[in-house]
Amino acid sequence: MQAADMSTPGALGPSVSTSALRIESLTKTFVGGRALDGVDLNIAPGEIHALLGENGSGKSTLIKVLAGYHRPDPGSLLQIGGLDLEVGSAHSSHALGARFVHQDLGLVESASISDNLAFGPGFPTKWGTIRSRRTRLRATAALEQMELDLDPGALIESLSPAQKTGVAVARALLADSVPDSGQPAGDVQLLVLDEPTARLPDSEVEHLLEIVRTVADRGIGVLYVTHRLDEVFQIAERASVLRDGVKVASEPVAGLTRDALLHHLLGAALEQPHRLNIADESSSAAGQPKATLSVDRLTSDVLTDVSFEVFPGEVVGVAGITGSGRDALCATIFGARARDEGTVHIRSEILPARRPDLAMSRDVAYVPAERKLQGCFLDLSARENISIANLRDFWRVPLLSRTKETAITKRWFERLGVRPREAIGQPLSSFSGGNQQKVVFGKWFQRVPVMFLLDEPTQGVDVGAKAELHSALFDAAQEGAAILMSSSDVDELVTVCDRVIVMRSGRIADTLHGDQINVHSITRSALGMAGDVVEPGSESANAVAS
Amino acid sequence: MIGINRNLGFDRYSGLYLWASLIIVFSIWQPRLFPTSATVHSVAANRAVAAVLALGVMIPLIGGVFDLAIGATANLATLSAVLLITNGHSIAVAVIVAILIGALIGAINGFIVVRLRVGSFIATLGMASVLAAVQIIVTGNSQPRSPSNSTWTALTQTKVLGFQIIVLYMLIIAAVLWWGLRHTPAGRYLYAIGSSPEAARLSGVRVDFYTWMSLIASGTLAGIAGVLYASLSGPSLSYGPALLLPAFAAVFLGSTQFSPGRYNVWGSILAIYVLATGVKGLQLVTDVVWLDLMFSGGALIAAVAVAGGRQRAGAEAKRRELVRQEDHHDRSSMGEPSAPAGEDG
Repeated sequence: MQAADMSTPGALGPSVSTSALRIESLTKTFVGGRALDGVDLNIAPGEIHALLGENGSGKSTLIKVLAGYHRPDPGSLLQIGGLDLEVGSAHSSHALGARFVHQDLGLVESASISDNLAFGPGFPTKWGTIRSRRTRLRATAALEQMELDLDPGALIESLSPAQKTGVAVARALLADSVPDSGQPAGDVQLLVLDEPTARLPDSEVEHLLEIVRTVADRGIGVLYVTHRLDEVFQIAERASVLRDGVKVASEPVAGLTRDALLHHLLGAALEQPHRLNIADESSSAAGQPKATLSVDRLTSDVLTDVSFEVFPGEVVGVAGITGSGRDALCATIFGARARDEGTVHIRSEILPARRPDLAMSRDVAYVPAERKLQGCFLDLSARENISIANLRDFWRVPLLSRTKETAITKRWFERLGVRPREAIGQPLSSFSGGNQQKVVFGKWFQRVPVMFLLDEPTQGVDVGAKAELHSALFDAAQEGAAILMSSSDVDELVTVCDRVIVMRSGRIADTLHGDQINVHSITRSALGMAGDVVEPGSESANAVAS
Repeated sequence: MIGINRNLGFDRYSGLYLWASLIIVFSIWQPRLFPTSATVHSVAANRAVAAVLALGVMIPLIGGVFDLAIGATANLATLSAVLLITNGHSIAVAVIVAILIGALIGAINGFIVVRLRVGSFIATLGMASVLAAVQIIVTGNSQPRSPSNSTWTALTQTKVLGFQIIVLYMLIIAAVLWWGLRHTPAGRYLYAIGSSPEAARLSGVRVDFYTWMSLIASGTLAGIAGVLYASLSGPSLSYGPALLLPAFAAVFLGSTQFSPGRYNVWGSILAIYVLATGVKGLQLVTDVVWLDLMFSGGALIAAVAVAGGRQRAGAEAKRRELVRQEDHHDRSSMGEPSAPAGEDG
């Protein structure tokens, strides 16, 4: 059809007129329904184009089609750099100059950074033998460009989630940025970033955005998928919004407001969950409520002498850059990670080290950051995922009550808005990331914990689902549960927390209350910047966003 | 609707169809030898020990742990029971001690895997070799005489509805395991551990405890299988390790049946008897000795490959079906006169 006149793009005029990416009436049907329905999208060379949408809106499917992983339904037109993409062919996608950083970073955990950087473009070899020095040098150069201070020989599994993201981005850019790799300097037309900042702390987000701008300045089109609205305003020139597989908007960011974007995303005005002020509770503090969680001089490989308390009904945030101990605190308290010294009490009962089962018997809940590895059972059904921590509720000698299990799963599906609603017997792997996370929360809510320990609780979760999870947490806090939430998403901490603990080099650097809880002061404290000198540069980004 | 049911049925119950067609084919091929009650009874009884061993292999496998020592354990239990009886101990003592030996070996395997943190593959492979050595020490590498005790043989060979009672034992064990794995928390925990040990630990499952227990269970079942074999067929120095592959083959094959993707009791039992039927039929046609090995190994590889391909093809077929339905829908909603499609004939 159009393929005929598109096969000679040079004849059509200067390359300026060809899009980095051109999609017309893209439709993709799965067993469960339509993931994409007649989507059009155009990205000019050098344009940064934000793509937004709730979980299950079709963003990931769109990317997988571009990557040649999914084959779209017939009748869809896909061009990268003015040339037709051979659908369903990863090779064609790569050859046309599309590069990807996926949400599941696709790194080989047990291999080193330099090996991971070599898997794509190939190892530099001499007579079939890997030239390890050269591989290493190339990796070092790539890491330096990302300003990642990492040993190229380090194994991926030893890195933090943020560092892993950095390596994945470095790898995607590698063939283009290191021309002497023995490969033809791959003509990258399009860089697709699928929620690259989902696991990054704010300081690194800024850095990543800079890199993205540099990439765009080279004339490469960037498709930037994100859940964080602020980033859209910081970096993108245009933004498109997908809802239920249909593109509902594609507009220049300059003319957009935050509310307008939210409206596009959700299809209706968003009701921000606001919790009742706990002022009345602090007034009753005269009666000295007993702390739900008290941590005393907790020390481990990454924590030093950490002491604090969390009271009933309180939501305490943990902020800090990667490696500050933020990402280890909840796991260490719960017993998922080893401790060296210090004690943890839940309502005056001691919590022993490395005994998650005992922590649970003391009504503690823990949501780990690595959902797929630690948080859920992908090949078990959603029902089994919810009931696994609650089997005592369903155990009616001599059988587990299937009826009750189904009823309770249904309740949490409705309560947390898990979709698709009728899929409670399906393996968890068939759900989208946000819905998987809701199921993980359902498992814990069912136990009615007094203490929630949450690591990146809404990582990779869309705005609507995030609000639903937050409001469910607020309800729990209202009932008297204490919540300790570690998050690299500072916006989230600002929205949700009564108090924020800021970690630096394994220690508690600051505790912020009330008005002190804002993006600016949390970021400053996490980076260890003293004083109140306001840098206009770092403020401007937030000013634009609000 | 009918189409969907037929599809599901063929994926999940393909073993039953295969079994039926094997029976039909051999009944036509060998009408005088194959479809007889004698054949049915002998196949049922002869494979009962293998079925019990398969169930033993399956328990730790659900939790992601291999027990490669189960054949050697069963063999040692067989010889222990025989030696105890020929040395004048009572049948009760012989049975209990032999089963306890199995349980003890399972406990040692558990200790090595859970406490010493040796991978189960290596740990039980090593244990199998150690047990072979122990067996030689105990027997002096000469096969003991069969106990000439009619009560002892009656233990498994009493007839119930024409079948030897060992078949009933096997079915009781299977039923108990089915209940334990499908309908109790312990079973759920084991499946969860097999899915993701770390997620299970963080969900409060005592991963080490259940891993250890699963190995004790497999050792105990090996002990029981050993006793049953001793009573049914008498002592043997080598049958145990030879049953290891068929046991694993049955469990893997079984995981394609009834609840695909999961190791399950009735799938394993079905697989044992489908393979047995095929082997028996071929043995009646020709009597080469390598049939059993060839059939178990080949069927394992072929069936697992076909099952995987069938599931992928099924998903693709459903997708196409959906596209077609949506197209119908689109066309009719656009006002085109389209017949209600009559379910596509």
